[in-house]
Amino acid sequence: MSTAYTVGLLVAVAGLIIGFMAIVRERDDLHRILLTDLAEVLALVLIALVATDLAEALILPGLVVGISELMAVSEVYIAKEGLQKPHIEPAFHIEVMDSAPGILALILVAYGIVLSGFTGGAVAAVGAVFYFMCRDHAEQFELIETVSGYAWVIWIAAFFIFMFLPQYWLFAVMMAGGAILLKVMAKMSLVGTMRGGSNV
Amino acid sequence: MFNLPTGNIGGQELFVLEFGDIVNYFSPYTAALFVFALIFTVLAIVSRPERQVDIAFGGDAYGAKEVSIDLMRFQRFMAIACGLATLGAMVSGDVFNFTLFASLVGITNIGIVAAYRNRHVLNAAFQYGIVAMLATVPLFGGAAIILASTGTLSMWELFADGVAVPIIAKAFLVLGVMGEGMAPFYVAKAEITRAQGAPFILMVHVSSLLLFLRVIEIVISM
Repeated sequence: MSTAYTVGLLVAVAGLIIGFMAIVRERDDLHRILLTDLAEVLALVLIALVATDLAEALILPGLVVGISELMAVSEVYIAKEGLQKPHIEPAFHIEVMDSAPGILALILVAYGIVLSGFTGGAVAAVGAVFYFMCRDHAEQFELIETVSGYAWVIWIAAFFIFMFLPQYWLFAVMMAGGAILLKVMAKMSLVGTMRGGSNV
Repeated sequence: MFNLPTGNIGGQELFVLEFGDIVNYFSPYTAALFVFALIFTVLAIVSRPERQVDIAFGGDAYGAKEVSIDLMRFQRFMAIACGLATLGAMVSGDVFNFTLFASLVGITNIGIVAAYRNRHVLNAAFQYGIVAMLATVPLFGGAAIILASTGTLSMWELFADGVAVPIIAKAFLVLGVMGEGMAPFYVAKAEITRAQGAPFILMVHVSSLLLFLRVIEIVISM
């Protein structure tokens, strides 16, 4: 093993010791959640230290598992403390916010579909972000989740075509491209809903 | 001294399921664990929640606790997901996949336990959640150290005689699974066993028992 790996390992272990000591000493539950998240980042550091392509591929599932555990524990914390979200008025409201979003969002989403893939998803998402920022978004939120779920299924189906029916690769590429468009758009459009509201 | 035949501690492979370079396998040992997990997953799917009876002390009055349909559906979903994650962990032929399935079992266990709106139960679920999150550090750390020292995560290669896995990686792996499978110890708290939902709570015990059995097989074989 190289010296860089050993040194990195020592640094990570030192960080882990500090983090775990902080968790042991901390009494506030919210702070403990945050500290555990910090400790999880060090688990990713341990994987990243390997520094091969395989390690790179392992970072993402590790991160996803960490985040989903963090979300589960945070939900438990919210339920435990009986916390509720305060009602927030929108910061400002002007007339153009009623008329513009429909047209602009339509153009951007249509252009995004033409582009397809990551870029198209980003362009279409800008349209969706703009729409949700200007309009009330309480109803559309579940729709986005549904669309995002279907997009994921299409994406996985495309991968199965790659694996089992490689001769239909073009069809699979089209499916994956369309699904990525929907996924990126759904994820980014959540940014537009970040100004408070009942469902957020 | 003991002289275990470490090459085939779980017996010869019976069936191999290949996904590219990730090769899942059934040996007599893991197949037995798989069937056990499958039985309990089916039980979680078909069973109805238990309705507890409270008896008023000193009188002859009693009342049955209602289980709301939302709570029942959520717990059933989590129990089935926990069963599926356990099935995956049993047949996995890749160390990192095993660690991912183990942490998935941890997440679903939090879900099963946290479904009750009872402050004490939620407190226990929260403490367990913190432990399960911290356990991902040694879990993934162990897998990363195995990858760094041997260059592979496939159990097919790690179980071969020539490959030496450092003892610290094995210890990390066991420590991580201990953290993820910690739920029964929290479930043992009276508050949780008193809460309704008997068939689904069972899944917490089954999954962690099977995880322990499997990780011991992996660690001995490596």
